[in-house]
Amino acid sequence: MKKKWITWLILGCMTVSLWGCGSKQEEQQTAESSPAAEEAAEETTEAAPAESSDYKIATVVKESSDPWFIRMEEGVNRFADETGVNAFQKGPSKTDAAQQVQVIEELVAQDIDAICVVPIDPAACESVLKKAMDKGIVVITHEATTQQNCDFNIEAFDNVGYGAYMMDELAKAMGEEGQYVCMVSYLTNAAHKEWSDAAIARQKEMYPNMELIPEEKIETEDSMEVAYERVKEILKKYPDIKGFLGTASNDPPGAGKAIDEMGLTGKVFAAGTSVTSVAAPYLESGSVATATCWDPADAGYAMNVLAKMILDGKRDEIQTGLDLGVPGFESISVTDGKYINGEGWIAITKDNMSDYNF
Amino acid sequence: MKSKKLLKRNEFYVAVTIFLLSLIIQLRSGQFFTANNFVDLARAMIIPGMLTMGVMMEIISGGIDVSFPAISMLSMYATLELLLKMEYEGSVALAFLIAVLIGLCLGLINGALICLLKLPAFIITLGTSSIYLGFMQAVLKSHTSSLLPGPVSRMVKSFLLTVTNQELGISSSLPSVFVFLIIIVAFTAFLLKYTMLGRGIYALGGDPVAAERAGFHVNGIRLFVYGFMGALAGFVGITRTILVGSCQPNSLIGYEMTCIAAVVLGGTRISGGHGTVAGSLLGALLLTMVSNSLILMGIPTYWSKFVTGILIIVGTGVSAYQALRRQRQLAVGVLEDQGLSENGGLM
Repeated sequence: MKKKWITWLILGCMTVSLWGCGSKQEEQQTAESSPAAEEAAEETTEAAPAESSDYKIATVVKESSDPWFIRMEEGVNRFADETGVNAFQKGPSKTDAAQQVQVIEELVAQDIDAICVVPIDPAACESVLKKAMDKGIVVITHEATTQQNCDFNIEAFDNVGYGAYMMDELAKAMGEEGQYVCMVSYLTNAAHKEWSDAAIARQKEMYPNMELIPEEKIETEDSMEVAYERVKEILKKYPDIKGFLGTASNDPPGAGKAIDEMGLTGKVFAAGTSVTSVAAPYLESGSVATATCWDPADAGYAMNVLAKMILDGKRDEIQTGLDLGVPGFESISVTDGKYINGEGWIAITKDNMSDYNF
Repeated sequence: MKSKKLLKRNEFYVAVTIFLLSLIIQLRSGQFFTANNFVDLARAMIIPGMLTMGVMMEIISGGIDVSFPAISMLSMYATLELLLKMEYEGSVALAFLIAVLIGLCLGLINGALICLLKLPAFIITLGTSSIYLGFMQAVLKSHTSSLLPGPVSRMVKSFLLTVTNQELGISSSLPSVFVFLIIIVAFTAFLLKYTMLGRGIYALGGDPVAAERAGFHVNGIRLFVYGFMGALAGFVGITRTILVGSCQPNSLIGYEMTCIAAVVLGGTRISGGHGTVAGSLLGALLLTMVSNSLILMGIPTYWSKFVTGILIIVGTGVSAYQALRRQRQLAVGVLEDQGLSENGGLM
């Protein structure tokens, strides 16, 4: 009797899960069958075609509704307005690697000249990007330092340069003296490790009056609450500490909250990676001196500039030292012939935070 | 007689561990027995303290729940989005009310599924946890934001008291939401101890069949327990936002294990039927102290995970050993009573 019950239950579960799969497939099919043009009209802002150029350049992002990529779209649209190129941005409705590949597939099937991609999973995009390149479509990627099938990959900056830049901002706030500590999401996070190592190296080189406390790096688990608790603890143990350098976007605001609540605003400072949408209240109070990051609008613009240069037959000009005409990309560096770094970091402060609303 | 009884209680050993740990912290940093540190500790206890009450109730009833962080974040996010859209400017009570109602519904879904499918609560809540999180990420498109509805953001700067450490020149403030922790703990203690429903929860965890025969409405109790956890999770979602000062829809992921560990550490039997409010609170306090004092103790960051694990094992080990000894004594006692000890012995 009991066995029978379980059998039915398992059957039921299977039916439910199959039904789930079915509806998903259906959804995908409708997405495929629906005319792509209609979707493009819906999700993108196409620029008015100009006689000077009739290139069609698509920028594919990780997710359309993310404030970060809404900001990137501003850059793409500005490029379209300024050059007359038919440039537009598209992206899946949620951050899903398979859906993103499908968006790229649809674009490749169309009459398109270049495609700029911010891959969710670079490895998953390799085959579709190869297909695009075989078809003669120019491929530019961003945030994908390992991408094989692309004409160029462009990064806003290299990790060492960015770490040093964060340290410069913190040193400025601290008056180049006093104790400080670095905050990382996890000690195993590669980017955060490189940034904080570079920041520490910069301090040792440039700011002899600053001192790293023995803890060196504290883990904040990508959580603002954890960052807040750890900073409070550090402040109790090291009452003379003056600076917190955060590498995860929750670090500076978490530190800022602790500094404000403990009545140390103006005496202790936090600086490092964050964005306005998280750090605004603490930039306002002054406990977070600077939030550093890169501007997605500029990165989007730069990708399109590169694509147009290649289409114009100016591929040979893309060399170290080239000015792309975009803030932060005035003097790019090229390694291995296709990996480009800019110096595209920005400093968000109390005064300019309304310009960087992402 | 009374002191002997105390020695048998699990809470006693957790309390001793806490006392020893605080002595170590004091010796290493000189910063434990200070007013501002106690305020910090009280503040850090608000979230784990509230959540362990619900988790403890579920574990006493013979169940478990890993979906409450998801419930908490989903109800919090949905409530804040709604209030922002409405441009609501009234009382903050409405924010709590909406979140509690959403949480209650989600918790009741858990309870209903557990009653209907008769599957282990762990599997059910693992599934619903994923559904709730997925719903928040896909449908509500959750993202971090420091923009909060007016009443909620005013609550962020509402404090009961502020103490200043003259020596270090730092001050700590106790948020007003601390009051809710006291209310929730008092309510849970009263419910478990003095109501028929509370006794039913213990009975259900002890033996569901016996509880049913004794006249308890078993499924009703289950629904209550999971509904209560859901409502509590919704409440905690808003409380958490007030504490953090920004809407962080992913911030509680992984918190279920901390809470379950705190409850078990406090002597609640994972198989159900036994557990106390004081024990769970002490368990939560021990874990909070451990995670918030590693830097004060001077443990290098690279060693923090290692030390946390050791402290959990030592803490649970002491109480587990006590329980084991008690069981042996009980077994021997029963066998002696039946006159079987000489032939049967221990199994």
